[in-house]
This record gives sequence, structure tokens and C-alpha cells, in this order.
Amino acid sequence: MSRDLCQKAGYSYTFLSDPKAEVIRRYDLLHTGAGVNGQDIARPAEFLLDSSGTIRWVNLTEDLRVRARPEQIIEAAKALR
Amino acid sequence: MNQRRRNWQLWTGFLLCVIAFASYVFVFARFPVTRDVPWATFMIFAVGIMALLIGLKHALGQPQQYRGKIMGPILATLGLAIVGFFCFTVFYQTRQLPASSGAPRVGQKAPELVLPDTSNHPVSLSSLLSVPLAVSQAPPKGVLLVFYRGYW
Repeated sequence: MSRDLCQKAGYSYTFLSDPKAEVIRRYDLLHTGAGVNGQDIARPAEFLLDSSGTIRWVNLTEDLRVRARPEQIIEAAKALR
Repeated sequence: MNQRRRNWQLWTGFLLCVIAFASYVFVFARFPVTRDVPWATFMIFAVGIMALLIGLKHALGQPQQYRGKIMGPILATLGLAIVGFFCFTVFYQTRQLPASSGAPRVGQKAPELVLPDTSNHPVSLSSLLSVPLAVSQAPPKGVLLVFYRGYW
């Protein structure tokens, strides 16, 4: 299902699935009961890591409608070496 | 018989409120410039409300010349309700997100993760950080983790 979706949308990057929300919980990004039919769902979040796995940039939006823009992320990625 | 004038401002105003709401949902929400701050929608709402108020003034102030004595208050109320619902959604509802105070911060190591990809093969964060890229044959300079809000 995800594979078809990625192909259709043209996403070429690694697409992972977290059906039990384990990683979502580990990153404290669970939005309890906010999904379809009151299921738990992830809140939107973006993390940019350097090659050592250290977080260099984070975006935890306060508004669902407002997400990180590609320019912001590219700008943050330029600082990586 | 006294033929009263059609109160077009009233209907135009109401229609603009409907159009403003629908155009946000179907068009403006797709583009960050008009989605993040819904200025275009608020401009249409402003024109709509002004037209509604003019129509209402005609209907109630000069009922001998204009129609809409009954429809006026109804359309004005509905128009305002649409604006109110929109404001409630964008200023309150979409901001009801968990604080995520325990989320990893800048400077911290990202917690390890192993999750299945679209072919159901387990992928770890450490492998994403170390496996050379196909394009450059060099290990990546970094990894971007994006948590989507959705089910697949």
C-alpha cells in the first residue's frame, strides 16, 4: 500500500512505516486519539541529523496547517558538513 | 403594486463567504503562501461581510425599496457563522497539538529506530546514516526524519 502511494506521489526517499507507533512514542510525537476514528496518530515533526546522528535542526509545528517548507530544510542542510 | 428592488448585495455577500471557505479547502490550502496565513481567504471574507452588511442595511433601513427583510438577517447570520467556523478552525482547532516536550532536541543524538520500509525490509537509522549513497558512493552528510500525520 505504501509502495503504491510512494510511486504514485514520486517519492524516491526511504519511506518507513510505524504501525504500532513505537518510534513515534520514543520521539514523544504521539497525538493521542486525534486520528481517524479516534486512533492515535503522529503529530507532524521534522528532524535534520548530521552524519553522527546528532540533531542539528528541529521543526515541531504548533499548527497542523503550517509545516516546514523545503527552503527552510535546504537552508538548515547547508550547514551540515 | 410596489415592486421592490432585488437585494443583490445580500446574496453576493453570502456567496462570497461560501466561496472564501470552499476556495481555502480546495485551492488555497494546497499552497503554503495562502495556507499558512490565510490572507487571501480573509480578503474574500472581508468583501463578503461588507456586501452582506450593505445588503442588510438596505433590507432593514429601506424595506419599501429593497427586498430581503427576512432573508437579510438569515444570510448575514449564516455568513458570519461561516467566518466564525473558519476562524475557529485555523486559530484554535489546528493548533491542538501535544507539546511533545520529550521530543529529542538540537544537540542530542536521535534515538535509534528500526522500521519496515515499503518492501517490508527493516531499516535502521544507523544504516541510513552509514550506507553510501548510490549517487556519490559516499556516506550521507545527514538524514532528514519527517514524521507524517497519516496512515498507510
